[in-house]
Amino acid sequence: MDIVTFPSQPTDNAAEPAAPARTHRARTLAVVLGVPLLVAVVVYAGFVLLRPHAYFGTVMQAPTPAPSMEDLVGIDGRPVDLAALRGDVVVLYFGYTFCPDVCPTTLAMAARAREQLGGDGERVHVMMVSVDPARDDVERVRDYVQAFDPSFLGATGELADVEQVAATYGVFFAEGAPLGDGYAVDHTATLMAIDTDGKLRIVWSPNVTADALADDLRELL
Amino acid sequence: MAFAIVQPIKVLPRLRPAPGYALIDQHGERFTSEDARGVITLYGFMPLDCGAECDQVTDTMVRVRDSIAERIDLGDVEFRLVTVVLDPDVTPDELTDAAARAGASSDPADDGWVWLSGSASQIENVVGLGFRRSPDPATWSPSYAIVDGWGTIRGEYRYATRMDNAEKLERHLDVLGGELRNRSGFATFAYDAAHAFQCYP
Repeated sequence: MDIVTFPSQPTDNAAEPAAPARTHRARTLAVVLGVPLLVAVVVYAGFVLLRPHAYFGTVMQAPTPAPSMEDLVGIDGRPVDLAALRGDVVVLYFGYTFCPDVCPTTLAMAARAREQLGGDGERVHVMMVSVDPARDDVERVRDYVQAFDPSFLGATGELADVEQVAATYGVFFAEGAPLGDGYAVDHTATLMAIDTDGKLRIVWSPNVTADALADDLRELL
Repeated sequence: MAFAIVQPIKVLPRLRPAPGYALIDQHGERFTSEDARGVITLYGFMPLDCGAECDQVTDTMVRVRDSIAERIDLGDVEFRLVTVVLDPDVTPDELTDAAARAGASSDPADDGWVWLSGSASQIENVVGLGFRRSPDPATWSPSYAIVDGWGTIRGEYRYATRMDNAEKLERHLDVLGGELRNRSGFATFAYDAAHAFQCYP
């Protein structure tokens, strides 16, 4: 039997003892740097994935049922029944049809936000309550709001009833400066959302954008 | 979960929008809820003159105002006292007299303490329906509300004889001031969590 002998591997006697040490240092370095990095990535990912939606509007922590509007008249000529809209989101705005500036821009913005929601937008009802009931009758309010979106709702009523509803929703209004042949109405221009449980949940300042409104509404739905 | 248990940050709850109103102040000028935007407001509700009980309300408000000036930091946000008088249709002169008795400035330019009156229906809407306090001078009890600069009610208080009312109001305003000063950048998420987990004082 031939004995086969393999030539020995060339060795570097000086370097050989150092190889395990280098590996050990590399592992230590990997642990020291890698573990915190991994933890940071996991924490960041968890934070990004799990953090609650950052609402643009002011969210009420202890929301209470939205005050009734049954003393107001809707654009269908019947008392406003918020309970009938339960399960959907109602976006409320207090404005008036002679409004020269903030009302049309706000309602146009709300229409864009609703459009951005696609099919979910059908579960969002935008309603304008007139703060100028002396001039805004049912027909006028209906024609006005539906010019922005045929789905939009509206309401008007006796001055005392509108004052009562407006006060409970945090809305001030009063006759302002002369405007054309008539007058302007000074009023709070916030938007509000009544959630699917019928509770007053979010208030948006007038500078909310369609994108931000749509994001918040998507979260509410 | 840990955040909810430890509650490292306290916040005042956002209860609901403060009522909208347009009332008449002690100078005969219209003062509205929009004028209160951007300012932290301590509301007090009381009849025009009810002796010691009214003194308790005004003394408490004065003490809170002094504490704000001396040691409670609300950041860049202004602070204002507003007294809503429950008697309907009180004249500006009567309001001025009551304000002077309570220690409010008589300078029309100084709006640090506003005294308001309105019609019976306005008082009912604002105090009864909005702040949900008795608007009837015959059945009222001393009460207060803290409203932030966004027009959101952050605290509602009935007068209690077993505790120091001013101390509680000061403590809660201090909490609100902490949020106003510190809520920025990463801390925003911590404050959002504090609201979500109802970390209330």
